[in-house]
Amino acid sequence: MTEPIVTMEAIVKNFPNVRAVDGGRFDLWSGEVHALIGENGAGKSTMMKTLYGLYEPEEGRITVRGRTFETLTPTEAIALGIGMVHQEFMLVRELTVLENVILGFEPRKGGGRIDFDEAEARVRRFVDDYGLHIRLHKKVNEISVGEAQRVEIIKALYRGADILILDEPTAVLTPQETSRLFEILRTLKADGKSIVFITHKLREVMALSDRVTVMRQGRHIATLEASATSIPELARLMVGRDVFLGVQPSNRHGSGEPVLTVEDIYVPGDKELSKLRGVSLELRRGEVLGVAGIDGNGQSELVEAIAGLRPVEKGRILLQGREIQNRTPLEVRAAGLAHIPEDRNQRGLNRSMSIEENLIATVFRKRPLSLGPMLVPAALRRFAERLIAAFDIRPPRPEVAVANLSGGNAQKVVVAREIDADADVLLAAQPTRGVDVGSIENIRRELVRACEKGTAILLVSADLEEILSLSDRIAVMYEGKITGFLEAGEADEETLGLFMTGGAVRA
Amino acid sequence: MRRSAVFNTVATIAVSLLFGAAVVAFMGHSPLEAYRELLKGAFWGRFNFGGTLERFVPLLLTALAFAVSSKVAVFNVGVEGELYLGAIAAAWVGVAAAGLPMVFHIPLCLVVAMIAGSLWAAIPGALKACWRVNEVCVTILANYVAIYITSYLVGYPLSAGTGVPQTKALTATARLARILPPSRANVGLFIALAALLFTWWLVHRSTWGYRMRAVGDNPGYAEHVGIRARSTMIWGMMISGALGGLAGAIEVMGIYGYFLDNFSPGIAFDGMLAALIARNDIRLVPLLAFFLAALKAGALGMERFTGIPKSLVDAIIAMFILLAAMEGLFLLRRRAKGKEA
Repeated sequence: MTEPIVTMEAIVKNFPNVRAVDGGRFDLWSGEVHALIGENGAGKSTMMKTLYGLYEPEEGRITVRGRTFETLTPTEAIALGIGMVHQEFMLVRELTVLENVILGFEPRKGGGRIDFDEAEARVRRFVDDYGLHIRLHKKVNEISVGEAQRVEIIKALYRGADILILDEPTAVLTPQETSRLFEILRTLKADGKSIVFITHKLREVMALSDRVTVMRQGRHIATLEASATSIPELARLMVGRDVFLGVQPSNRHGSGEPVLTVEDIYVPGDKELSKLRGVSLELRRGEVLGVAGIDGNGQSELVEAIAGLRPVEKGRILLQGREIQNRTPLEVRAAGLAHIPEDRNQRGLNRSMSIEENLIATVFRKRPLSLGPMLVPAALRRFAERLIAAFDIRPPRPEVAVANLSGGNAQKVVVAREIDADADVLLAAQPTRGVDVGSIENIRRELVRACEKGTAILLVSADLEEILSLSDRIAVMYEGKITGFLEAGEADEETLGLFMTGGAVRA
Repeated sequence: MRRSAVFNTVATIAVSLLFGAAVVAFMGHSPLEAYRELLKGAFWGRFNFGGTLERFVPLLLTALAFAVSSKVAVFNVGVEGELYLGAIAAAWVGVAAAGLPMVFHIPLCLVVAMIAGSLWAAIPGALKACWRVNEVCVTILANYVAIYITSYLVGYPLSAGTGVPQTKALTATARLARILPPSRANVGLFIALAALLFTWWLVHRSTWGYRMRAVGDNPGYAEHVGIRARSTMIWGMMISGALGGLAGAIEVMGIYGYFLDNFSPGIAFDGMLAALIARNDIRLVPLLAFFLAALKAGALGMERFTGIPKSLVDAIIAMFILLAAMEGLFLLRRRAKGKEA
């Protein structure tokens, strides 16, 4: 083992108006887990997509197993044993797991027919060897996110990969699923596979990796032994300055009068009736109530029901004493609610519109932004520039289309719009999901500030650390019910984890 | 990005004209002469230039109608029907409201035509918004219904009683003045240009347009921020229908002076092409509408003086559409290759 299995040197990749990677450097030893970290837009994914052949770099060399390339195609990369698990899964939802795995590489038998028995035997081998636990004959649209990810891993292995690139694999997983993924990755490593692990979650880096490469603004900053570094050092290298993620709750008082009361509501899910069965909670002025739970236990339905985006079958929702269940989103907003939706691309933003047009979405009807039917461009510009400055949205140009922003800055647009509404109640669903460290810090600080100004916040997050560091009280959801309320002081990840899996029901 | 879009359009025009030249040469004619006659036929003299303008007006309005509906994510193939209904409505008011002074009569005709078009367009709009009925099917079929309705009206209740299926001539107070006699170009041109400016303002500078674009691009987002997707879609379609109706009214009031059964040879479909090539960008729509109008007008002159069939122009337009579509493909490819960081 004298030579790295992969070496990338002096990589330069330009996108229109942006130099995404500028002199990128990376090497991978056989049998190691190498974490590639950096803020959103630091060029991590771009680096790895050039290795997998999805992008052609303008400059630089890529050496894989002693062969040097200027550019690769995905076909060449696969032939070299490189596999990639993307951030968005590339699966055909209407096909079964097995069909997805073998797609494009089907074993054949006579007459051009697919040999499904042979295929299943081959795939089964990977499933058993690495403890991947998936159901091969389920359709992809019936399986969970964690399972879909394991399908992607098998797909790469099936194609002969022994260099595995995982692009932010834990962004979509619960803590339990994450630790399961780590088990799988350790088994793979023990089997001699080399793994590149793109992330911006530093604790995962420390838990899993042998070495760490830090990128910032497209540049290589450092490559370190994981055992010889620390989370604060990595955070500083990533952001370029010291950061504090645990915003300390300052002089807050969660003892105000209740502003939002949910009384025993039943709410349908996408595929079933009564996904929520009898949820009640009370949110008081000036407090942050965290809602923890494994994704898919009804948190999304709870938030959407309150926001007027989902019907309520039974029960009442009171905002400042007024019933708001089964009202339109516009009426609910008028009653004093703001909402950071969990999916910024589906709901939170109009990607083809500009930053400015997204920021004005809930207020464009009011003076001075519009006079009757007439939008007032100068007033819109002033409004947008104020929010862009206040929330540090980059680039600070109101006319830029949101589609061109990094995840963190796009999320800041949503957060800015919703916090600026100065509502009585703010629903914050996954406010920092898929966002870089610098933006996380920024968004959390803004949430706390809004809370101090008197907004009551219902915070739903898959990130337990976020729940623990921001909430005054914590409600845990499991299978459509709230299984317990905890005061911030008495909660830690372990107790929460227990409630989240239904382990200790005390209603 | 803006500049490159204009550049692409101009380059596309150039390449398709070169293609046309090759075809002409292949047929044994001189391409230069053909294009000279084409240009003369489109721009030389009041009659020819007027001919271009008289085609430009309905093309522009129907293209705008299509572009507006596309802002609310409705693919409105029904502009032709709206044009017919607008035309017959204008003809009816133009005859029946005789005695009104011109300052009231002309606006009344236009307004009634626009209402007719917008009500007709509201049907597929509502079907799509409330029950997700595919608007393409509905609007294609609605075109036949609309055209047969006008055929019935012009054949019986509104017939002039002559052998030809046409209405009585509009009274002079409902006629749009000609601006380049002996051509039939008329002050409808200015009405159309005003409609262009208004439509641009509406889509890009008004709260209505803001809502329309929000709904058209991402209905989930519109719902989230409190914009009603259904009603926005319906009245987006009604604005589109009003523009179609206006196009029909100007044809009747400015060009013919009466409603003639089956008068439109698919004007709205040419307008739809113009809008599609412009990718529904309202600033590019007039450019393309004018280009198509000039080609169509010039083709007559070219055929008359060189013997090259005027359907050559259709081949050039087809080539143009192919190139424009290819450009769209390249754009998609580039996006797939160079997205995200």
